[in-house]
Amino acid sequence: MIEFSHVSASYDGELAVLRDVSFRIEDGSFVAFVGTNGAGKSTTMRLINGLLKPTEGQVLIDGTPTTELKTSELAQRVGFLFQNPDRQICNNTVREEMMFGFKALGKESPEAEVRADEIMAAFGLNPDDDPFLLNRGTRQLLALASIIVLQPPVVVLDEPTTGLDFRECTKVMEIIRRLHERGTTVVMVCHDMEVVADYAESIIVMSAGRVLAQGPTYELLRDRVLTQEASLVAPQMVALSLALGSQHPQLANTAVGQANTLSEMERALGLEIAEGGEPR
Amino acid sequence: MIEISNFSFTYRESADPVVRDINLTIPDGAFVGITGAAGSGKSTLTYAMNGIIPHCYPGDFYGSVNVCGLDTVECDLTEISRRVGSVCQDIDSQMVSSIVEDEMLYGLENFGVAHEEIEARVAEALDAMGIADLRDRTIDSLSGGQKQKVALAAIVALRPEVLVLDEPTAELDPASSVAVYELLRRYAREHGTTVVIVEQKIALLCDYADLLVVIDDGRIRFADRPENVLEHADELLAIGVNCPRSTTLCHDLKAAGLYEGAVCKNVNDAVAMAEQVLALASSEEGGAR
Repeated sequence: MIEFSHVSASYDGELAVLRDVSFRIEDGSFVAFVGTNGAGKSTTMRLINGLLKPTEGQVLIDGTPTTELKTSELAQRVGFLFQNPDRQICNNTVREEMMFGFKALGKESPEAEVRADEIMAAFGLNPDDDPFLLNRGTRQLLALASIIVLQPPVVVLDEPTTGLDFRECTKVMEIIRRLHERGTTVVMVCHDMEVVADYAESIIVMSAGRVLAQGPTYELLRDRVLTQEASLVAPQMVALSLALGSQHPQLANTAVGQANTLSEMERALGLEIAEGGEPR
Repeated sequence: MIEISNFSFTYRESADPVVRDINLTIPDGAFVGITGAAGSGKSTLTYAMNGIIPHCYPGDFYGSVNVCGLDTVECDLTEISRRVGSVCQDIDSQMVSSIVEDEMLYGLENFGVAHEEIEARVAEALDAMGIADLRDRTIDSLSGGQKQKVALAAIVALRPEVLVLDEPTAELDPASSVAVYELLRRYAREHGTTVVIVEQKIALLCDYADLLVVIDDGRIRFADRPENVLEHADELLAIGVNCPRSTTLCHDLKAAGLYEGAVCKNVNDAVAMAEQVLALASSEEGGAR
Protein backbone atom coordinates (compact mmCIF):
# COMPACT_ATOMS: atom_id res chain seq x y z
CA MET A 1 0.00 0.00 0.00
CA ILE A 2 1.11 3.55 -0.76
CA GLU A 3 0.08 6.16 1.73
CA PHE A 4 0.70 9.92 1.74
CA SER A 5 0.08 11.50 5.11
CA HIS A 6 -0.02 15.32 5.14
CA VAL A 7 2.85 15.50 2.65
CA SER A 8 4.36 18.79 1.57
CA ALA A 9 7.29 18.94 -0.81
CA SER A 10 9.56 21.47 -2.44
CA TYR A 11 12.44 21.36 -4.90
CA ASP A 12 14.29 24.41 -3.63
CA GLY A 13 13.25 24.33 0.03
CA GLU A 14 11.13 27.44 -0.42
CA LEU A 15 8.42 27.09 -3.07
CA ALA A 16 6.01 24.35 -1.92
CA VAL A 17 5.06 22.22 -4.94
CA LEU A 18 2.84 19.95 -2.85
CA ARG A 19 0.85 21.11 0.12
CA ASP A 20 -0.64 18.86 2.77
CA VAL A 21 -1.37 15.98 0.41
CA SER A 22 -2.99 12.85 1.87
CA PHE A 23 -4.24 9.78 0.02
CA ARG A 24 -4.01 6.02 0.11
CA ILE A 25 -3.54 3.60 -2.81
CA GLU A 26 -4.54 0.03 -1.99
CA ASP A 27 -2.61 -2.97 -3.31
CA GLY A 28 -3.82 -4.18 -6.69
CA SER A 29 -5.52 -0.95 -7.73
CA PHE A 30 -5.14 0.97 -11.00
CA VAL A 31 -5.05 4.66 -10.20
CA ALA A 32 -4.47 7.62 -12.50
CA PHE A 33 -3.37 11.05 -11.34
CA VAL A 34 -4.98 13.79 -13.39
CA GLY A 35 -4.71 17.57 -13.36
CA THR A 36 -3.11 20.41 -15.24
CA ASN A 37 0.61 20.91 -15.89
CA GLY A 38 2.20 22.00 -12.64
CA ALA A 39 -0.56 20.51 -10.46
CA GLY A 40 2.03 18.35 -8.67
CA LYS A 41 1.44 14.98 -10.33
CA SER A 42 5.02 14.25 -11.37
CA THR A 43 6.26 15.53 -8.00
CA THR A 44 3.93 13.03 -6.34
CA MET A 45 5.43 10.25 -8.49
CA ARG A 46 8.94 11.30 -7.47
CA LEU A 47 7.90 11.12 -3.82
CA ILE A 48 6.57 7.59 -4.33
CA ASN A 49 9.83 6.35 -5.82
CA GLY A 50 11.95 8.21 -3.28
CA LEU A 51 13.71 10.54 -5.74
CA LEU A 52 12.24 13.34 -3.65
CA LYS A 53 11.69 13.30 0.10
CA PRO A 54 8.84 15.20 1.76
CA THR A 55 9.60 18.43 3.61
CA GLU A 56 6.64 17.68 5.86
CA GLY A 57 4.52 14.59 6.46
CA GLN A 58 5.31 11.03 5.44
CA VAL A 59 5.25 8.89 2.31
CA LEU A 60 4.73 5.28 3.40
CA ILE A 61 5.34 2.26 1.16
CA ASP A 62 3.87 -0.83 2.81
CA GLY A 63 3.95 1.05 6.11
CA THR A 64 7.62 2.13 5.91
CA PRO A 65 8.49 5.80 5.33
CA THR A 66 10.51 6.33 2.13
CA THR A 67 13.05 8.24 4.23
CA GLU A 68 13.92 4.95 5.95
CA LEU A 69 14.23 2.89 2.76
CA LYS A 70 17.40 2.56 0.71
CA THR A 71 17.04 3.36 -2.99
CA SER A 72 17.67 -0.30 -3.83
CA GLU A 73 14.93 -1.44 -1.39
CA LEU A 74 12.50 1.05 -2.82
CA ALA A 75 13.40 0.09 -6.39
CA GLN A 76 12.40 -3.51 -5.67
CA ARG A 77 9.00 -2.41 -4.39
CA VAL A 78 8.26 0.33 -6.90
CA GLY A 79 9.17 0.20 -10.60
CA PHE A 80 9.29 3.63 -12.17
CA LEU A 81 8.79 4.58 -15.81
CA PHE A 82 10.03 8.08 -16.55
CA GLN A 83 8.12 10.42 -18.83
CA ASN A 84 11.07 10.42 -21.22
CA PRO A 85 12.49 6.91 -21.83
CA ASP A 86 15.84 8.45 -22.74
CA ARG A 87 16.32 9.36 -19.08
CA GLN A 88 16.11 5.70 -18.26
CA ILE A 89 17.85 3.79 -21.03
CA CYS A 90 21.59 3.52 -20.45
CA ASN A 91 22.83 0.36 -22.19
CA ASN A 92 24.05 -0.46 -25.66
CA THR A 93 21.77 -3.37 -26.45
CA VAL A 94 18.18 -4.22 -25.65
CA ARG A 95 19.31 -7.35 -23.78
CA GLU A 96 21.77 -5.42 -21.60
CA GLU A 97 19.05 -2.89 -20.82
CA MET A 98 16.65 -5.67 -19.84
CA MET A 99 19.26 -7.21 -17.51
CA PHE A 100 20.45 -3.88 -16.08
CA GLY A 101 18.04 -3.92 -13.12
CA PHE A 102 19.09 -7.45 -12.11
CA LYS A 103 22.74 -6.43 -12.42
CA ALA A 104 22.23 -3.32 -10.29
CA LEU A 105 20.50 -5.40 -7.62
CA GLY A 106 23.12 -8.18 -7.82
CA LYS A 107 20.45 -10.64 -8.88
CA GLU A 108 21.68 -11.88 -12.24
CA SER A 109 20.67 -15.50 -12.75
CA PRO A 110 19.66 -17.94 -15.48
CA GLU A 111 16.04 -17.48 -14.35
CA ALA A 112 16.38 -13.74 -14.84
CA GLU A 113 17.71 -14.35 -18.37
CA VAL A 114 14.74 -16.56 -19.14
CA ARG A 115 12.29 -13.97 -17.83
CA ALA A 116 13.99 -11.25 -19.88
CA ASP A 117 13.76 -13.45 -22.99
CA GLU A 118 10.05 -14.06 -22.40
CA ILE A 119 9.28 -10.38 -21.98
CA MET A 120 11.38 -9.32 -24.99
CA ALA A 121 9.46 -11.86 -27.07
CA ALA A 122 6.10 -10.66 -25.71
CA PHE A 123 7.00 -7.02 -26.42
CA GLY A 124 8.42 -7.82 -29.86
CA LEU A 125 11.87 -6.50 -28.90
CA ASN A 126 15.03 -7.68 -30.62
CA PRO A 127 17.70 -8.43 -27.94
CA ASP A 128 20.56 -7.26 -30.17
CA ASP A 129 19.11 -3.90 -31.20
CA ASP A 130 20.77 -0.68 -30.10
CA PRO A 131 18.16 1.06 -27.88
CA PHE A 132 19.15 4.52 -29.09
CA LEU A 133 18.41 3.63 -32.71
CA LEU A 134 14.85 2.51 -31.92
CA ASN A 135 11.93 4.86 -32.47
CA ARG A 136 10.32 6.67 -29.55
CA GLY A 137 7.46 4.19 -29.12
CA THR A 138 9.79 1.19 -29.08
CA ARG A 139 12.14 2.93 -26.63
CA GLN A 140 9.12 3.52 -24.38
CA LEU A 141 8.23 -0.17 -24.64
CA LEU A 142 11.82 -1.14 -23.80
CA ALA A 143 11.86 1.16 -20.75
CA LEU A 144 8.59 -0.41 -19.60
CA ALA A 145 9.81 -3.94 -20.32
CA SER A 146 13.01 -3.40 -18.33
CA ILE A 147 10.90 -2.45 -15.31
CA ILE A 148 8.32 -5.20 -15.66
CA VAL A 149 11.06 -7.85 -15.88
CA LEU A 150 11.94 -7.12 -12.25
CA GLN A 151 8.33 -7.91 -11.23
CA PRO A 152 7.86 -5.04 -8.81
CA PRO A 153 4.55 -5.17 -6.90
CA VAL A 154 3.93 -1.52 -7.85
CA VAL A 155 4.63 0.25 -11.15
CA VAL A 156 4.57 4.02 -11.37
CA LEU A 157 4.19 5.38 -14.89
CA ASP A 158 4.73 9.08 -15.61
CA GLU A 159 2.79 9.73 -18.80
CA PRO A 160 3.43 6.35 -20.43
CA THR A 161 1.70 7.29 -23.71
CA THR A 162 3.16 10.76 -24.41
CA GLY A 163 4.66 10.95 -27.88
CA LEU A 164 3.26 7.58 -28.94
CA ASP A 165 0.96 7.08 -31.88
CA PHE A 166 -2.39 5.35 -31.53
CA ARG A 167 -1.11 1.83 -32.18
CA GLU A 168 1.87 2.21 -29.85
CA CYS A 169 -0.34 3.74 -27.18
CA THR A 170 -2.77 0.83 -27.36
CA LYS A 171 0.09 -1.67 -27.24
CA VAL A 172 1.65 -0.07 -24.15
CA MET A 173 -1.68 0.30 -22.35
CA GLU A 174 -2.81 -3.26 -23.06
CA ILE A 175 0.46 -4.55 -21.58
CA ILE A 176 -0.17 -2.39 -18.51
CA ARG A 177 -3.74 -3.67 -18.30
CA ARG A 178 -2.54 -7.29 -18.30
CA LEU A 179 0.05 -6.46 -15.67
CA HIS A 180 -2.70 -5.04 -13.47
CA GLU A 181 -4.92 -8.04 -14.07
CA ARG A 182 -2.13 -10.23 -12.74
CA GLY A 183 -2.08 -8.25 -9.48
CA THR A 184 0.41 -5.41 -10.01
CA THR A 185 -0.59 -2.08 -8.52
CA VAL A 186 -0.52 0.51 -11.31
CA VAL A 187 -0.10 4.20 -10.59
CA MET A 188 -0.07 6.41 -13.66
CA VAL A 189 0.05 10.06 -14.58
CA CYS A 190 -1.79 10.64 -17.83
CA HIS A 191 -3.14 13.63 -19.72
CA ASP A 192 -5.12 11.65 -22.26
CA MET A 193 -8.54 11.43 -20.67
CA GLU A 194 -9.71 8.78 -23.15
CA VAL A 195 -6.84 6.56 -21.98
CA VAL A 196 -7.55 7.36 -18.31
CA ALA A 197 -11.22 6.53 -18.74
CA ASP A 198 -10.49 3.32 -20.68
CA TYR A 199 -7.99 1.90 -18.21
CA ALA A 200 -7.95 3.46 -14.72
CA GLU A 201 -10.40 2.22 -12.09
CA SER A 202 -10.03 5.33 -10.00
CA ILE A 203 -8.45 8.74 -10.27
CA ILE A 204 -6.84 11.24 -7.95
CA VAL A 205 -7.51 14.79 -9.10
CA MET A 206 -4.81 17.33 -8.32
CA SER A 207 -4.69 21.08 -8.66
CA ALA A 208 -2.08 23.59 -7.51
CA GLY A 209 -0.22 21.09 -5.35
CA ARG A 210 -3.28 19.72 -3.59
CA VAL A 211 -5.55 16.70 -3.95
CA LEU A 212 -9.05 17.84 -4.86
CA ALA A 213 -10.72 14.44 -5.01
CA GLN A 214 -10.12 10.69 -5.14
CA GLY A 215 -12.73 8.23 -6.38
CA PRO A 216 -14.06 6.04 -9.20
CA THR A 217 -12.94 7.36 -12.60
CA TYR A 218 -16.28 8.01 -14.30
CA GLU A 219 -17.96 9.28 -11.13
CA LEU A 220 -15.37 12.04 -10.82
CA LEU A 221 -15.17 12.77 -14.55
CA ARG A 222 -18.93 13.36 -14.55
CA ASP A 223 -18.61 15.91 -11.73
CA ARG A 224 -18.74 19.18 -13.62
CA VAL A 225 -17.80 21.36 -10.67
CA LEU A 226 -14.72 19.23 -10.05
CA THR A 227 -13.64 19.01 -13.69
CA GLN A 228 -13.99 22.74 -14.06
CA GLU A 229 -12.05 23.47 -10.88
CA ALA A 230 -9.24 21.12 -11.99
CA SER A 231 -9.43 22.24 -15.69
CA LEU A 232 -10.05 18.66 -16.79
CA VAL A 233 -11.50 17.84 -20.20
CA ALA A 234 -13.94 14.95 -19.89
CA PRO A 235 -13.65 12.07 -22.39
CA GLN A 236 -15.86 12.63 -25.43
CA MET A 237 -18.62 10.15 -24.57
CA VAL A 238 -18.93 11.52 -21.02
CA ALA A 239 -19.00 15.07 -22.40
CA LEU A 240 -21.67 14.04 -24.93
CA SER A 241 -23.78 12.32 -22.28
CA LEU A 242 -23.53 15.30 -19.91
CA ALA A 243 -24.34 17.79 -22.70
CA LEU A 244 -27.41 15.82 -23.78
CA GLY A 245 -28.53 15.43 -20.17
CA SER A 246 -28.25 19.13 -19.45
CA GLN A 247 -29.74 20.36 -22.75
CA HIS A 248 -32.60 17.85 -22.52
CA PRO A 249 -33.40 17.33 -18.82
CA GLN A 250 -35.73 14.45 -19.69
CA LEU A 251 -32.64 12.51 -20.82
CA ALA A 252 -30.59 13.08 -17.65
CA ASN A 253 -31.68 9.87 -15.95
CA THR A 254 -31.89 7.72 -19.07
CA ALA A 255 -29.18 5.47 -20.53
CA VAL A 256 -28.18 8.37 -22.81
CA GLY A 257 -27.74 10.77 -19.91
CA GLN A 258 -25.75 8.17 -17.95
CA ALA A 259 -23.57 6.68 -20.72
CA ASN A 260 -19.83 6.77 -20.08
CA THR A 261 -18.31 4.68 -22.86
CA LEU A 262 -18.73 4.39 -26.62
CA SER A 263 -20.54 1.06 -26.32
CA GLU A 264 -22.87 2.42 -23.61
CA MET A 265 -23.69 5.44 -25.75
CA GLU A 266 -24.23 3.32 -28.84
CA ARG A 267 -26.55 1.00 -26.96
CA ALA A 268 -28.40 3.98 -25.49
CA LEU A 269 -28.89 5.44 -28.97
CA GLY A 270 -30.45 2.22 -30.19
CA LEU A 271 -27.49 0.41 -31.68
CA GLU A 272 -27.37 -3.28 -31.01
CA ILE A 273 -23.87 -4.31 -30.06
CA ALA A 274 -22.37 -7.38 -28.49
CA GLU A 275 -22.27 -7.54 -24.69
CA GLY A 276 -19.01 -6.18 -23.38
CA GLY A 277 -18.42 -4.56 -26.78
CA GLU A 278 -15.23 -2.56 -26.67
CA PRO A 279 -14.83 0.81 -28.32
CA ARG A 280 -12.87 0.48 -31.50
CA MET B 1 2.63 30.04 -49.50
CA ILE B 2 4.36 26.70 -49.18
CA GLU B 3 4.64 24.73 -52.37
CA ILE B 4 6.06 21.23 -52.31
CA SER B 5 6.43 19.53 -55.69
CA ASN B 6 7.36 15.91 -56.37
CA PHE B 7 9.42 15.92 -53.20
CA SER B 8 11.23 12.79 -52.03
CA PHE B 9 14.01 12.57 -49.48
CA THR B 10 16.38 9.79 -48.47
CA TYR B 11 18.56 10.34 -45.39
CA ARG B 12 22.19 9.60 -46.13
CA GLU B 13 22.24 6.62 -43.77
CA SER B 14 18.99 5.12 -45.14
CA ALA B 15 18.45 2.96 -48.16
CA ASP B 16 14.89 4.06 -48.90
CA PRO B 17 13.23 7.47 -49.07
CA VAL B 18 11.46 8.50 -45.85
CA VAL B 19 9.02 10.68 -47.77
CA ARG B 20 8.22 10.24 -51.44
CA ASP B 21 6.33 11.96 -54.22
CA ILE B 22 4.97 14.66 -51.96
CA ASN B 23 2.86 17.30 -53.66
CA LEU B 24 1.30 19.80 -51.30
CA THR B 25 0.26 23.45 -51.60
CA ILE B 26 -0.41 25.39 -48.41
CA PRO B 27 -1.92 28.85 -48.94
CA ASP B 28 -0.86 31.83 -46.81
CA GLY B 29 -2.67 31.97 -43.49
CA ALA B 30 -3.77 28.33 -43.56
CA PHE B 31 -3.90 26.27 -40.39
CA VAL B 32 -2.60 22.85 -41.39
CA GLY B 33 -2.46 19.67 -39.32
CA ILE B 34 -0.18 16.78 -40.23
CA THR B 35 -0.79 13.40 -38.63
CA GLY B 36 0.14 9.77 -39.18
CA ALA B 37 1.65 6.83 -37.37
CA ALA B 38 5.13 6.96 -35.83
CA GLY B 39 7.81 6.76 -38.51
CA SER B 40 5.42 7.72 -41.31
CA GLY B 41 7.49 10.76 -42.32
CA LYS B 42 5.67 13.61 -40.57
CA SER B 43 8.73 15.17 -38.97
CA THR B 44 10.75 14.77 -42.16
CA LEU B 45 8.11 16.73 -44.03
CA THR B 46 8.35 19.57 -41.49
CA TYR B 47 12.16 19.53 -41.78
CA ALA B 48 11.69 20.18 -45.47
CA MET B 49 9.47 23.18 -44.71
CA ASN B 50 11.82 24.81 -42.21
CA GLY B 51 14.98 24.12 -44.23
CA ILE B 52 16.55 21.67 -41.78
CA ILE B 53 16.40 19.44 -44.84
CA PRO B 54 18.64 19.81 -46.81
CA HIS B 55 20.75 22.21 -44.72
CA CYS B 56 21.29 20.08 -41.59
CA TYR B 57 20.44 16.56 -42.69
CA PRO B 58 22.32 15.47 -45.78
CA GLY B 59 20.69 13.07 -48.18
CA ASP B 60 19.13 12.69 -51.60
CA PHE B 61 16.66 15.50 -52.24
CA TYR B 62 14.33 15.22 -55.21
CA GLY B 63 11.72 17.74 -56.34
CA SER B 64 11.36 21.22 -54.88
CA VAL B 65 10.21 22.91 -51.69
CA ASN B 66 9.32 26.56 -51.90
CA VAL B 67 8.48 28.48 -48.71
CA CYS B 68 7.46 32.18 -48.72
CA GLY B 69 8.97 32.51 -52.19
CA LEU B 70 12.28 30.92 -51.13
CA ASP B 71 13.59 27.78 -52.72
CA THR B 72 14.82 25.97 -49.59
CA VAL B 73 17.74 24.39 -51.46
CA GLU B 74 18.94 27.65 -53.00
CA CYS B 75 18.82 29.94 -49.95
CA ASP B 76 20.60 29.51 -46.62
CA LEU B 77 19.08 28.41 -43.32
CA THR B 78 19.30 31.87 -41.73
CA GLU B 79 17.19 33.30 -44.51
CA ILE B 80 14.58 30.57 -44.06
CA SER B 81 14.52 30.87 -40.29
CA ARG B 82 13.70 34.57 -40.52
CA ARG B 83 10.49 33.55 -42.24
CA VAL B 84 9.79 30.19 -40.65
CA GLY B 85 9.70 29.69 -36.88
CA SER B 86 10.00 26.13 -35.61
CA VAL B 87 9.40 24.30 -32.38
CA CYS B 88 10.88 20.83 -32.40
CA GLN B 89 9.55 17.68 -30.85
CA ASP B 90 12.33 17.31 -28.29
CA ILE B 91 11.94 20.55 -26.42
CA ASP B 92 15.15 20.15 -24.41
CA SER B 93 17.18 20.19 -27.61
CA GLN B 94 15.70 23.58 -28.49
CA MET B 95 16.46 25.39 -25.24
CA VAL B 96 19.71 27.35 -25.32
CA SER B 97 19.47 29.40 -22.12
CA SER B 98 19.15 28.66 -18.44
CA ILE B 99 16.57 31.37 -17.64
CA VAL B 100 13.21 31.84 -19.38
CA GLU B 101 13.81 35.52 -20.11
CA ASP B 102 17.20 34.76 -21.72
CA GLU B 103 15.56 32.10 -23.87
CA MET B 104 13.08 34.74 -25.07
CA LEU B 105 15.87 37.22 -25.79
CA TYR B 106 18.11 34.80 -27.65
CA GLY B 107 16.20 34.79 -30.93
CA LEU B 108 15.18 38.45 -30.79
CA GLU B 109 18.74 39.67 -30.25
CA ASN B 110 20.22 37.32 -32.80
CA PHE B 111 17.73 38.47 -35.40
CA GLY B 112 18.67 42.08 -34.65
CA VAL B 113 15.24 43.22 -33.45
CA ALA B 114 15.44 46.88 -32.37
CA HIS B 115 16.34 47.13 -28.69
CA GLU B 116 13.36 49.35 -27.83
CA GLU B 117 10.98 46.83 -29.37
CA ILE B 118 12.29 43.78 -27.54
CA GLU B 119 10.63 44.29 -24.16
CA ALA B 120 7.18 44.67 -25.70
CA ARG B 121 7.68 41.54 -27.82
CA VAL B 122 8.84 39.47 -24.82
CA ALA B 123 5.98 40.64 -22.62
CA GLU B 124 3.38 40.11 -25.34
CA ALA B 125 4.56 36.58 -26.17
CA LEU B 126 4.79 35.52 -22.51
CA ASP B 127 1.34 36.96 -21.84
CA ALA B 128 -0.09 35.28 -24.91
CA MET B 129 1.14 31.88 -23.66
CA GLY B 130 -0.05 32.64 -20.13
CA ILE B 131 3.42 32.27 -18.65
CA ALA B 132 4.33 35.83 -17.64
CA ASP B 133 4.97 34.49 -14.13
CA LEU B 134 7.69 32.15 -15.40
CA ARG B 135 9.88 34.94 -16.79
CA ASP B 136 12.58 34.72 -14.12
CA ARG B 137 12.45 30.96 -13.58
CA THR B 138 15.28 28.65 -14.52
CA ILE B 139 14.48 26.38 -17.45
CA ASP B 140 15.57 23.39 -15.33
CA SER B 141 12.83 24.04 -12.79
CA LEU B 142 10.02 23.97 -15.38
CA SER B 143 7.74 21.03 -16.12
CA GLY B 144 7.69 19.59 -19.64
CA GLY B 145 4.47 21.45 -20.37
CA GLN B 146 5.83 24.74 -19.14
CA LYS B 147 8.93 24.30 -21.30
CA GLN B 148 6.76 23.76 -24.35
CA LYS B 149 4.97 27.02 -23.68
CA VAL B 150 8.32 28.83 -23.28
CA ALA B 151 9.55 27.41 -26.60
CA LEU B 152 6.35 28.54 -28.33
CA ALA B 153 6.54 32.00 -26.77
CA ALA B 154 10.17 32.40 -27.85
CA ILE B 155 9.24 31.58 -31.45
CA VAL B 156 6.04 33.63 -31.54
CA ALA B 157 8.04 36.65 -30.29
CA LEU B 158 10.01 36.50 -33.56
CA ARG B 159 6.76 36.99 -35.55
CA PRO B 160 7.56 34.52 -38.32
CA GLU B 161 5.40 34.24 -41.44
CA VAL B 162 5.16 30.49 -41.04
CA LEU B 163 5.09 28.48 -37.82
CA VAL B 164 6.17 24.84 -38.09
CA LEU B 165 5.43 23.01 -34.87
CA ASP B 166 6.26 19.36 -34.24
CA GLU B 167 3.88 18.03 -31.56
CA PRO B 168 3.82 21.33 -29.67
CA THR B 169 1.31 20.09 -27.10
CA ALA B 170 2.72 16.59 -26.50
CA GLU B 171 3.38 17.31 -22.86
CA LEU B 172 0.53 19.71 -22.24
CA ASP B 173 -2.64 18.87 -20.36
CA PRO B 174 -5.86 18.90 -22.42
CA ALA B 175 -7.02 22.32 -21.23
CA SER B 176 -3.59 23.86 -21.94
CA SER B 177 -3.48 22.12 -25.32
CA VAL B 178 -6.79 23.73 -26.27
CA ALA B 179 -5.51 27.04 -24.92
CA VAL B 180 -2.39 26.78 -27.10
CA TYR B 181 -4.45 26.01 -30.20
CA GLU B 182 -6.78 28.93 -29.42
CA LEU B 183 -3.77 31.18 -29.05
CA LEU B 184 -2.18 29.91 -32.26
CA ARG B 185 -5.40 30.38 -34.22
CA ARG B 186 -5.96 33.88 -32.89
CA TYR B 187 -2.32 34.81 -33.41
CA ALA B 188 -2.31 33.37 -36.92
CA ARG B 189 -5.46 35.24 -37.91
CA GLU B 190 -4.21 38.53 -36.51
CA HIS B 191 -0.82 38.25 -38.19
CA GLY B 192 -1.76 36.28 -41.29
CA THR B 193 0.63 33.55 -40.16
CA THR B 194 0.60 30.13 -41.75
CA VAL B 195 0.60 27.38 -39.12
CA VAL B 196 1.75 23.82 -39.80
CA ILE B 197 1.38 21.45 -36.85
CA VAL B 198 2.40 17.81 -36.54
CA GLU B 199 0.08 16.27 -33.99
CA GLN B 200 -1.10 12.92 -32.67
CA LYS B 201 -4.15 14.47 -30.99
CA ILE B 202 -6.44 14.18 -33.96
CA ALA B 203 -9.49 15.48 -32.08
CA LEU B 204 -7.66 18.78 -31.60
CA LEU B 205 -6.54 18.95 -35.23
CA CYS B 206 -10.07 18.31 -36.45
CA ASP B 207 -11.35 21.27 -34.45
CA TYR B 208 -8.70 23.73 -35.60
CA ALA B 209 -7.17 22.72 -38.91
CA ASP B 210 -8.45 24.00 -42.29
CA LEU B 211 -6.45 21.26 -43.95
CA LEU B 212 -5.66 17.86 -42.48
CA VAL B 213 -2.78 15.97 -44.04
CA VAL B 214 -2.45 12.27 -43.23
CA ILE B 215 0.84 10.59 -44.05
CA ASP B 216 1.39 6.87 -44.33
CA ASP B 217 4.72 5.28 -45.15
CA GLY B 218 6.17 8.51 -46.51
CA ARG B 219 3.28 9.33 -48.83
CA ILE B 220 0.36 11.70 -48.44
CA ARG B 221 -2.73 9.56 -48.03
CA PHE B 222 -5.22 12.35 -47.42
CA ALA B 223 -5.02 16.14 -47.69
CA ASP B 224 -8.45 17.64 -47.26
CA ARG B 225 -10.77 19.36 -44.82
CA PRO B 226 -10.89 17.36 -41.56
CA GLU B 227 -14.55 16.38 -41.97
CA ASN B 228 -13.78 14.93 -45.40
CA VAL B 229 -10.78 12.99 -44.08
CA LEU B 230 -12.84 11.59 -41.18
CA GLU B 231 -15.20 10.01 -43.70
CA HIS B 232 -12.45 7.40 -44.18
CA ALA B 233 -12.36 6.06 -40.61
CA ASP B 234 -11.57 2.46 -41.54
CA GLU B 235 -8.70 3.44 -43.81
CA LEU B 236 -7.34 5.76 -41.14
CA LEU B 237 -7.46 3.02 -38.53
CA ALA B 238 -5.67 0.65 -40.90
CA ILE B 239 -2.74 3.09 -41.13
CA GLY B 240 -2.62 3.67 -37.36
CA VAL B 241 -4.62 6.89 -37.12
CA ASN B 242 -7.50 6.86 -34.66
CA CYS B 243 -10.61 8.99 -35.10
CA PRO B 244 -12.20 10.99 -32.29
CA ARG B 245 -14.77 8.90 -30.37
CA SER B 246 -17.56 11.15 -31.64
CA THR B 247 -16.56 10.22 -35.20
CA THR B 248 -16.53 6.49 -34.38
CA LEU B 249 -19.98 6.82 -32.80
CA CYS B 250 -21.19 8.58 -35.93
CA HIS B 251 -19.83 5.91 -38.29
CA ASP B 252 -21.31 3.10 -36.18
CA LEU B 253 -24.73 4.78 -36.15
CA LYS B 254 -24.50 5.33 -39.90
CA ALA B 255 -23.56 1.71 -40.51
CA ALA B 256 -26.61 0.63 -38.50
CA GLY B 257 -28.83 2.94 -40.56
CA LEU B 258 -29.67 5.10 -37.55
CA TYR B 259 -28.08 8.30 -38.87
CA GLU B 260 -27.54 9.76 -42.32
CA GLY B 261 -26.18 13.25 -41.72
CA ALA B 262 -22.71 14.79 -41.91
CA VAL B 263 -19.76 13.14 -40.19
CA CYS B 264 -19.12 14.26 -36.59
CA LYS B 265 -15.71 15.62 -35.73
CA ASN B 266 -16.32 16.70 -32.13
CA VAL B 267 -18.71 16.51 -29.19
CA ASN B 268 -20.84 19.42 -30.43
CA ASP B 269 -21.44 17.64 -33.73
CA ALA B 270 -22.25 14.45 -31.80
CA VAL B 271 -24.83 16.28 -29.67
CA ALA B 272 -26.63 17.43 -32.83
CA MET B 273 -26.40 13.91 -34.26
CA ALA B 274 -27.77 12.30 -31.09
CA GLU B 275 -30.64 14.79 -31.04
CA GLN B 276 -31.47 13.80 -34.59
CA VAL B 277 -31.22 10.08 -33.81
CA LEU B 278 -33.33 10.40 -30.68
CA ALA B 279 -35.99 12.41 -32.48
CA LEU B 280 -36.26 9.53 -34.97
CA ALA B 281 -36.33 7.05 -32.15
CA SER B 282 -38.92 9.04 -30.26
CA SER B 283 -41.35 8.95 -33.18
CA GLU B 284 -40.76 5.26 -33.78
CA GLU B 285 -40.01 3.79 -30.38
CA GLY B 286 -41.31 6.24 -27.82
CA GLY B 287 -38.19 8.08 -26.71
CA ALA B 288 -34.69 7.37 -25.57
CA ARG B 289 -34.05 4.12 -23.84
